[in-house]
Amino acid sequence: MVNFAYRRPKSLAEALDFLSSCGNKTKVLAGGTDLTVDLRQGSAQPEYVLDTSRLDELKGIELSNGQLCIGAGVTLTEIYESALLERYTPALQKCAATFASKQIRNVATIGGNVAHCSPCADTLPPLLIHEAKAILASNKGLRETPIEDVASGPYESSLRPDEIILRFILKPSKDINFADFQKIGRRKALATARITMAFMARQDADRKISFLRFALGACTPTPQRIALVEDYLACRVPTVQTLWEAGGLLAESVLEITGRRPSASYKEPAVRGLSVRMLYPLVHVGA
Amino acid sequence: MDNPSKFIGKNIPRSGTLEKLRGEAVFSADIELDSPLVLKALRSGRAHADVVAIDSARALGVEGVVAVFTAKDIPGKNLFGLINKDQPLLVSDKVRSIADAVALVAADSEAAANSALSAIEVTYRDLPAVFDPEEAMGPNAPRVHEKGNILSVSKVRKGDAERAFERCRSVIEKTYRTSMVEHNYLEPDAGAGFVDDDGALAVYASTQNPHYDHKELVSLLALDDDQVRVIQAVTGGGFGSKLDLNVQGFIGLALYHLKRPVRYVYSREESYLATAKRHPLLIRMKTGCDDKGRLLAMKATIICDTGAYASYGVAVANRAAVHATGPYEVENVDVQSYCVYTNRPFCGAMRGFGTPQIAFAHESQIDLHAKELSADPLEIRLLNALRPGSKTSTGQTLTSSVGITECLQALKPYYAQAVESWKKSAVNGFLKRGAGIGAMWYGIGNTGVQNPSTARVEMDLDGTVTLYTGCADIGQGSTTTLSQIVAEVLGIEPHTIRTVVGDTKYTANAGATSASRQTYISGNAVKEASEKLAEVLLTEAVNRLKSPKSSLVFASGHVFVSTNPEKRISFADLAKRIRAKGFSLSWQGFFDPVTVPLDRETGQGVPYATYAFGAQMAMVTVDVLTGEVSVEKIVAAHDVGKAIHPENVVGQLCGGVAMGVGFALMEEFEPGKTVSMKDFYIPTCADMPEVVPIIIESPEPTGPFGAKGVGEPALIPTAPAILNALADALGERIWVLPANLERVMEASIRSGNFGAVNSE
Repeated sequence: MVNFAYRRPKSLAEALDFLSSCGNKTKVLAGGTDLTVDLRQGSAQPEYVLDTSRLDELKGIELSNGQLCIGAGVTLTEIYESALLERYTPALQKCAATFASKQIRNVATIGGNVAHCSPCADTLPPLLIHEAKAILASNKGLRETPIEDVASGPYESSLRPDEIILRFILKPSKDINFADFQKIGRRKALATARITMAFMARQDADRKISFLRFALGACTPTPQRIALVEDYLACRVPTVQTLWEAGGLLAESVLEITGRRPSASYKEPAVRGLSVRMLYPLVHVGA
Repeated sequence: MDNPSKFIGKNIPRSGTLEKLRGEAVFSADIELDSPLVLKALRSGRAHADVVAIDSARALGVEGVVAVFTAKDIPGKNLFGLINKDQPLLVSDKVRSIADAVALVAADSEAAANSALSAIEVTYRDLPAVFDPEEAMGPNAPRVHEKGNILSVSKVRKGDAERAFERCRSVIEKTYRTSMVEHNYLEPDAGAGFVDDDGALAVYASTQNPHYDHKELVSLLALDDDQVRVIQAVTGGGFGSKLDLNVQGFIGLALYHLKRPVRYVYSREESYLATAKRHPLLIRMKTGCDDKGRLLAMKATIICDTGAYASYGVAVANRAAVHATGPYEVENVDVQSYCVYTNRPFCGAMRGFGTPQIAFAHESQIDLHAKELSADPLEIRLLNALRPGSKTSTGQTLTSSVGITECLQALKPYYAQAVESWKKSAVNGFLKRGAGIGAMWYGIGNTGVQNPSTARVEMDLDGTVTLYTGCADIGQGSTTTLSQIVAEVLGIEPHTIRTVVGDTKYTANAGATSASRQTYISGNAVKEASEKLAEVLLTEAVNRLKSPKSSLVFASGHVFVSTNPEKRISFADLAKRIRAKGFSLSWQGFFDPVTVPLDRETGQGVPYATYAFGAQMAMVTVDVLTGEVSVEKIVAAHDVGKAIHPENVVGQLCGGVAMGVGFALMEEFEPGKTVSMKDFYIPTCADMPEVVPIIIESPEPTGPFGAKGVGEPALIPTAPAILNALADALGERIWVLPANLERVMEASIRSGNFGAVNSE
């Protein structure tokens, strides 16, 4: 464990002031469930740890002007328990239900999960299908960035040292009749994800898919929406065969992005398999 | 038993539980000492290298550092080991694994100790290293130890296997591999030491064998027996890894030189790095049976990678050889088992001593025969099962307490239900269900060598009874079980018995808490001591009550005349009278199981006096699209002879299943990569199946009240049952443990299940 000075600002303004001067020697602590591990193993060696866990400005979940707003300091448990999110971001709620373990869900925050920039961050695929934007705050003001741009690579943040994530703006789901989040780990709880996926879809009365958002995590340097899958399935009446084909396209796009790594012998079939399993309800309407 | 037992077979409150629940139990790391120094070892980080020079000058200059010790500071013999003395406490000439300790720092703070570690300058000359045991056996492999890399070869030969294969209708030959596994006990290794009032070096440790630790410390420090005292602190699990000398040697060395309180508490990371692992085994097994499924012949070659040091390696390789047939009678056997050094971290004892690994092979083989002959997996096992009168592969004739048939029979209704209805009940097309059986046998105690236990039972003048035992209770509940045995013999409530456990100043050697031996072996020693005391009490009571011994009984701290309970005398009265007459109130018991050493060339002999048996059924669901496995239910039937504390037995069964699920599906330690629990997965409660424990009691005539043991047996059939269930679900088998996502997915693809989804 390295030595560092602990700071707990009383307000957002105070936090941003501190970051504007010491941001490059500071690690921001939200829930701490990733940071404390990094501190222990020495992969994070900051001079300061800035604790934002009690800042009211980072709290709250609300719907206004047709936009969902989730504070960066909202915990996974709060996401799971939110009636608003259950209604408007069902895949995110399911992700919160299976996130790590109950103890971790009680303290881990959505902002921390995003800012840590892990390729395996569970909340990313659900945020991606809602075309989320991160609102970043600094002494210089606010700026907005697409969620996929927060990480510039695995564990590499595009945020400036003087910035923190204030909140996320999500497009609420509208008239969808399917949504899901799926995860594969080496055990049923408290396991780093090997693969994560989220989707939401609208299937019309004629069984055609008229709207689909699909995102994949843990397989590419940063989680991403997979346009190939979305485009392939759009306007189709899905069958197991079409899902199988879409899964094949998904596997291909993963290989295209990552190259054939040693993990591909598992991930190539498994992303296909998991996508078929997740999307299967589209075939079995009313089942 | 003539009379129904009062305390045997009863779930009395477990000793130490309340203290643990209240947080009052004192583990090694909790021991309060007067400004103790912190100890830390410098680990080599190199697999194989000559140590050219060690310069501690800079480290000694670090503020707060009191001493830096190297091999030359060890006054006695700088080599230890449970069977082979091949492991230095601090290396002097060369390092053989990344975990080898090169120097030991004593400092007044953790931070100072850490700074000192990085200030020690060691000059190494790297040597070619060998990490693969088969490669290590070759003539040109780098030598890990002077005497060569093949540490031992165990042979078990009976009949003529080669010729018997010619008569077989079904012959199957396959190769199996198992993984290196970390024990992952809850409490990382820890110890504390101080100079006690007698001037002895007192070492508290988290240990499974304080008397062994004592012997090693005496040898390392070249001291007399009474100059070293080892006390077992409350111990949070061990599973075999706390049989080795872990922190104890370092504490002893620092104490020897500094004569002031010291402590050493491993972090989880150091516990992972520096302590023993389960031996990975490579098993080539060929078995043959006749058209009815009766096993006629077995041939096996086993290679056991013990890493840089032997620890219990020879015993693991030997036990794997002796248990290779499984709980079946096989007339013709030819097994060779090699224990091989490599430059990987050392492997030692872990729950089952090679038997969980070999069971994976013999239980896969018997299922393969069943499949080839279209036989029922349960029936083929029943057909071959050992029974009284059977001869084992070592030529031992079993006479009684052979409960494997009862265990298998107990599974029958569950297996029938699983196969006939559960497997067929609709689940979606991506999920396949399977049911599998695993069976085991396990010899209680060490293999073909003496492994006695001693115990003492004393009565005070007020009639209070004290049990002295060197038997380390590491959470499995031996102190409770042993107290029940004393209680049963003397007719007193178990909670009134004082216990002095695992303190070499007061207790005598009970041998290791390992090999599932304590209930049987120490139980017998305790029973004998109690019976001697009982005999003295009865003798005196005859004088007082004027009744023959045969008419006297014990109850509630008195001796009664059974036909006339009015006539009685208290233990206190008896104790005073016995003492006045100059007779002893302190009695020792001793027990060593009757064994016959195994012949070096043929392995023939009597390795164990008795065996535990068990059989489990696993019900699993496999996702053929992703390779995810869910173990839904395990039915675990185990013959323990007699369950002295049934809840303890159930606890062992459930814990064994949990460990078996991990061994089957996820546990794999990769040296240099696996650092801590963040990258070593053991099952969580979400991964645990429903467990149906079934206790079978086929009494062992030589056991205390008929008891045998269950600690290790509980784990052994779980992984084989799960792997057989997976094969049942997929129609293809997995040959390498763990059956992780990748291997299950590969089997799903190989079996066509994965691709079949498309043609739904």
